[in-house]
Amino acid sequence: MRITLKTKIWLTVLSVVMMFAFFILFYFPIQQEKYLLKNFNKEIQNLANTVALGVKIAITEQNFEGVQTAMDFVKGDPHLNFISMIQTDTVWNDNHTNFSIKKAIFKTYPEGKLVSVNQVSNDTILVKEAPFYTSMMSGSILLGFSKNEIVESKKQIRFTSLIVSLIVFVVGIIIGFWLAKNISVPVLALRDAANKVGEGDLTQRVSNYSQDEIGELGQAFNRMVNDLEKAREEIKSSNIALASTNSELQSTVENLKSTQAQLIQSEKMASLGQLTAGIAHEIQNPLNFVNNFSELSVELIAEFESEDATQDDKEDIIKDIKSNLEKIAHHGKRADRIVKGMLMHSREQKGEKIPVKINQQLDEDITIAYHGLRAKNSAFQCEIVKEFDANIDKINIIPQDINRVVINLLNNAFYAVGDRLISNTDLSWKPAVKISTKLSNSSIVIGIEDNGTGIHKEVMEKIFNPFFTTKPTGEGTGLGLSICYDIIKSHGGEITVESEFGKGTLFNIRLTI
Amino acid sequence: MMNGANKIFLLVVFIACFNSIESIAQDALGVIGNAKGVPASLTFVELKNVMKGEKQRWKDGTKIVIALMKTNTPIGQTSAKKIYNMSGDELNRFWLALVFQGKTSAPTFFNSMSELEAFVAQTPGAIGIVKKENTNEGKLIPVDGKKEF
Repeated sequence: MRITLKTKIWLTVLSVVMMFAFFILFYFPIQQEKYLLKNFNKEIQNLANTVALGVKIAITEQNFEGVQTAMDFVKGDPHLNFISMIQTDTVWNDNHTNFSIKKAIFKTYPEGKLVSVNQVSNDTILVKEAPFYTSMMSGSILLGFSKNEIVESKKQIRFTSLIVSLIVFVVGIIIGFWLAKNISVPVLALRDAANKVGEGDLTQRVSNYSQDEIGELGQAFNRMVNDLEKAREEIKSSNIALASTNSELQSTVENLKSTQAQLIQSEKMASLGQLTAGIAHEIQNPLNFVNNFSELSVELIAEFESEDATQDDKEDIIKDIKSNLEKIAHHGKRADRIVKGMLMHSREQKGEKIPVKINQQLDEDITIAYHGLRAKNSAFQCEIVKEFDANIDKINIIPQDINRVVINLLNNAFYAVGDRLISNTDLSWKPAVKISTKLSNSSIVIGIEDNGTGIHKEVMEKIFNPFFTTKPTGEGTGLGLSICYDIIKSHGGEITVESEFGKGTLFNIRLTI
Repeated sequence: MMNGANKIFLLVVFIACFNSIESIAQDALGVIGNAKGVPASLTFVELKNVMKGEKQRWKDGTKIVIALMKTNTPIGQTSAKKIYNMSGDELNRFWLALVFQGKTSAPTFFNSMSELEAFVAQTPGAIGIVKKENTNEGKLIPVDGKKEF
């Protein structure tokens, strides 16, 4: 059940008014009556005590002034019903062995009023008794006062309470109206305005000029809506600016993507160029064989066709030609295999993992990489160390991707030892690159280590970042290691680096079998 | 039959009582009054009426104010006996009853004659009972033609 603010105000005011009215109408009169009765009792008792004291003084001192004054005072009260002096006598039996107390009315005012010695209070009369003791006479003063005054006072109190309750009720209702008007109306207006603002209408304002908290709330609301409107305008203009910036950014991103693609392609082509150089060197030998044996076979055919050739010579020539052709075929196939390997490196194809003899693959890779470098710089010499774990057979990899990673790392290793060689002064130092494999639980670790220049500690964390390179401008794109990192990650493996500047670097590639 | 000791005791009691009666009998009383209101002479009946509160105003309208010696004094006892024919306690009870019922104002009781005389002299309508022999005869109001009773 939903109780509105107006209802709550009314309930609160009514509760307070009802409680107050109840207090005035019931509790207050009862307490007043109790207090009145208590005072009345006390007052009558005091009067009785005073008269009793006056009697005692009159008897003992023969001074009747006190009792006369007290009696004048008592008799002057219009609510006096009676006042009696009771004489108490001790009556002994004839043998003076036992006694009884005998009470008798000595005098009563008004004279002729019948009063019992045992008179007690009732609904209409309040009776109080005050004893006195003298050697001559003992007894008590019995004072009876009409309760009419109390009854009248009670009626007056109840009437007054009723009137005050009615006034409180009426005032409460007026206050209720006033509160409802001054609290609920502005609050409801504020609620409506807030709802409309919530719906997006920022033209809403509340007009409440009261100086209280509700007025302050209204002013705060207006300020808030003003600020909101201003903020919305700012956001709108910012959005426009942002949209423009976004457009520019999008364009920039497109350009960057395009540039990145070009760079990756360049990197690939650079890699391919190096590969091509290495492969060309590899192809050169079989081609030389093919050429030489071809030329030799041509000469043999010429001898075969000469007139001087005997049947035996011809048979020998045929044998030699056959041998030459076999060698040509052998070296042709070798060249074919090399070319196919080159194609495998350069082709854009969707990578699929296939079982590859990784040790053999790595052996070919280091040969290709080394000769590729030597094709550019024939003076370059480097010791190649291979430590392949014989327990490793085939593992599932995407060969062209892993080849790219390994050749990239080997190229970097050769570059590092070459770089150190230029400035080397240590005669005992010789450039060396080591490639190794190691079986470790359910994975293999490919290690590529060099004793080149090493990597600075400061740049160690950045080497896998795209476009980060320490090579001179034009020699590196900064994408090589970044691509390596991505490839290894896509294989579910990890690549780590350990390096000491001036001493060398070790890359470890861990691949799950 | 009484023995000798008892006879002596009765004789002592008799002598004491006789002396007392003789003492009372010897206290002749007189009446004094304030110049205002109090008549120059009274009858004994009028005196008793006044003293018992039965008459509360003099003829000129002045309120009667009674002055008596306290009943614990010889003159007070004599006054109670001769005027009221009551003992001291009875006199007290008599006045207590009257005052309680509001019938009259109680007398003013004094310890000494001089106080009583001074009170009567200063209070209009006041009348007092005094010992005749201690009082200037000129002040005494004759009762039934006599200045003592």
